[in-house]
Amino acid sequence: MPNQLFTPLGTAVVAAGVWAVAGLLVLRARARAFGSRQPFAAAAGDPAAGIRYAFTGAMSPGAKESVREHLPSYGLGLAFHGGIFTAFALLALSLAGFELPRSLWLGARALLALGAMGGLGLLLKRLLKAELRGLSRPDDFVSNLLATAFVALALVSPGQAWLLSAILLLFYAPLGKIRHCLFFFMARSHFGAFFGRRGVFPPGGSHVH
Amino acid sequence: MSTELEQKLDTLTDADYARGLEVFRGGLKEAEASYLNACVRCGLCAGGCHYHRTEPELENVPGRKLDHIASVFKAHFTTMGRLAPGLVGAKRFDRDMARAWVDAVFGRCTLCGRCSMNCTIGIPLPALFRAARRALGAMGLVPEDLQATVENSLQHGNNMAIEREEWVETVEWMEEELQADTGDPEARIPLDKQGARCLFTVNPREAKFFPLSLQASAKVFWAAGEDWTLASDGGWDLTNYALFTCEDDQAAAIVKNLTDAMTRLGCQVLVIGECGHGYQSARWMGPEWLKQRFPFPVVSILELMDGYLNEGRIHVDSARNQEPVTLHDPCNLVRHGGISEPQRRVLRRAVANLVEMAPHGVENYCCGGGGGQLAMSRYRNRRLAAGKKKADQIRATGAKVVAAPCHNCIDQLSELNKEYQLKVQIKTVAELVAAALIVPTHSEVLP
Repeated sequence: MPNQLFTPLGTAVVAAGVWAVAGLLVLRARARAFGSRQPFAAAAGDPAAGIRYAFTGAMSPGAKESVREHLPSYGLGLAFHGGIFTAFALLALSLAGFELPRSLWLGARALLALGAMGGLGLLLKRLLKAELRGLSRPDDFVSNLLATAFVALALVSPGQAWLLSAILLLFYAPLGKIRHCLFFFMARSHFGAFFGRRGVFPPGGSHVH
Repeated sequence: MSTELEQKLDTLTDADYARGLEVFRGGLKEAEASYLNACVRCGLCAGGCHYHRTEPELENVPGRKLDHIASVFKAHFTTMGRLAPGLVGAKRFDRDMARAWVDAVFGRCTLCGRCSMNCTIGIPLPALFRAARRALGAMGLVPEDLQATVENSLQHGNNMAIEREEWVETVEWMEEELQADTGDPEARIPLDKQGARCLFTVNPREAKFFPLSLQASAKVFWAAGEDWTLASDGGWDLTNYALFTCEDDQAAAIVKNLTDAMTRLGCQVLVIGECGHGYQSARWMGPEWLKQRFPFPVVSILELMDGYLNEGRIHVDSARNQEPVTLHDPCNLVRHGGISEPQRRVLRRAVANLVEMAPHGVENYCCGGGGGQLAMSRYRNRRLAAGKKKADQIRATGAKVVAAPCHNCIDQLSELNKEYQLKVQIKTVAELVAAALIVPTHSEVLP
């Protein structure tokens, strides 16, 4: 695969990536500017253990009713995000001019195919379920379409159209709900620390005064 | 729509909206700002809410309630909300949005936090709804009857405006009953005992309507030989409805009654009776409201009873509670308080047949009485409808007794009992323990 880093589109992808990272850093700084809260109440548990649990067990079907009751959506979400991460990995390799080993290519294609189906499935769900449609904003559809197109093009046409889709996706990332690629981690850390402190996470932990 | 609310909305000026926004903004820290940026509107939180479970409509989806708050946040505090409001769903804070906020955060939410556990991202929605309630309070939009409960606490030291004389008489009456029940003329319900180890606090409903709850707790303390006291004046009421109006200055003033009583009486441990929001208020929020670390531990009576049983200070015979018992998990005590196991360990010893609800513990459903709902008459019908999920859970256990370690929950469960013909008795954990107590002889009761 030729090195695309110094082609006009390749350079534009890198510029869009810089824009995305910078935009997300600005959003992070703005959130931090709200200030932090120093708790006075004595902890009953360990905030760090709560954070670890929030990113692991608390997201599992065993601990989360919304996952248990919506396993198809959970599966579509996992597939979609797996496809996005795979497409970004391929994008990085492509820009750097590295060829994916043939032994990995089949797996990557499978992940991309599943990812594209996941994105499409979630889009259809959002369109077809009245309640979810009512909850949705144009941002939800734009975000899904950009990410799904990026994954699908990585699979079927990893050329200029794909690079263009990457530019659009990266440009939009800090502007719409794709910003959750940052805020998911920030929010879930606070969530885990809150319940960890109170001895609620992880379950079965000791509650001290 | 409530006439009272519409009349208040009619009087709002631009300055009121500006003040509401200022208070809302002031209640947000990095955590809340992160949550407001994080929702992906997946809708998977819907089933986590008992309102949506019983009435599946869009306005009952927690994500929708959050969206009302997030829309205003975006419009006033984000760049994209100003540049492309239609794209990201940003809306200015106006009369319609104020009405939507009131309906969402007071009318369709008990702040139970079950949606948080089921959120894809992990957004503790009650934290944001509290910020919204606080802002609405600054605009005079807290439902009047809820605010009146807070005013009672501020003016009378308890939320039912019980006068000191009436409280003292009730305690003395219960002391006589305790002596008759135990056969111990020395059994005491101490008032204002200087230097007692534990200061015990109760819900005023115990004084007014459920004195047997107080007597049951006193019997357990007597059997354990606990060194305890009640306060005769400010500092006996554990409730704090400002937790629900979210006006922190008022909440601080109310919780200060407890810390002042601890100082005045020189007690070492603040014991919170069976009350979910009272526990969260004193144990978790109190230090934040007063901006100080308490120099004493705050414990639930459930933890004390668990300790008494473990240490052999009291003994129970589960055969004395033969009927099947199920346990209700108050959200403020369990999901927000971290007290989940002590009451279970106690009941496994004190009753013959404990049947858990499905789900239970941190995954429990709110009974529908939380978040101040019991004090907001305009939402009564919704509250009872939303409680059907809990009623169905109770019925499915086949239990004849519901143990509910919270007097607010007991009120709601009592209404559900009638509304849904559950035919159950509703008791506190202490009442079940007291019924199962193997009463010690006088000499066995420690001083």
